[in-house]
Amino acid sequence: MILWLGLGAGLVTGLGWSRLRGHPYRSPTLNHIWLVFAGFLPQFLAIYIGNTRLTTPDWLAAPILVTSQLVLLIFAWLNRHLTGMLILMIGLVLNMVVMVANGGFMPINPNTAERLVGAERISTFEIGNRIGYKDILLPAKETRLEWLTDRFLPPVGFPYQVAFSLGDVFIALGAFWMLAYQKAINENQLLRSI
Amino acid sequence: MKHQLLRLNRLGTKINRQHLQLVLTLIALALLVLGVGAPMDGGGISG
Repeated sequence: MILWLGLGAGLVTGLGWSRLRGHPYRSPTLNHIWLVFAGFLPQFLAIYIGNTRLTTPDWLAAPILVTSQLVLLIFAWLNRHLTGMLILMIGLVLNMVVMVANGGFMPINPNTAERLVGAERISTFEIGNRIGYKDILLPAKETRLEWLTDRFLPPVGFPYQVAFSLGDVFIALGAFWMLAYQKAINENQLLRSI
Repeated sequence: MKHQLLRLNRLGTKINRQHLQLVLTLIALALLVLGVGAPMDGGGISG
């Protein structure tokens, strides 16, 4: 997944860079961390947990998803001083805008979805049905802000197929930057901390 | 000697705290990107 790639690559780069400079790796200091858990929990229950996901109707899942993203946006805003957080926030807003404009879910074109799950499986879905965790199957002409949807795909033949949005790219870049870029630790500060 | 032990103890506490902070930060960032990102890879499709 593109998001995990951003996080993983950022951490590896940050650790490698710290080692190269001979400084200990210092992770970004997040403020109001409880907001992440509070914001993600409703989404986790309504979207990711199998049983509750199946029993949560779309009319309820959509506002839960948007509210959850709103709380996460507040968290990101409160931590906007961190390098990379502003990039992540751009992605967050892009994803949120397109989802709100299309009923609370991320639109995906049937042709794009077909590349991921196959023609036979996609034929079992109707237009407007939810597909995957946060997506909704919508043709391009019925989609608002189509350029912000899950429309990008890796090349054919790539071992891992995933559809992602422009917002996802910004989110992955922001996460990468946040973990990769480490401000140099002031030596006096380090000695004081020991 | 006592001062050195105390300093060593504080260093150990500091390292543990830093490791814990890193783990907590990574979990929070993972939840953040998972919560705000919306890629689709075919997972979670039950239809």
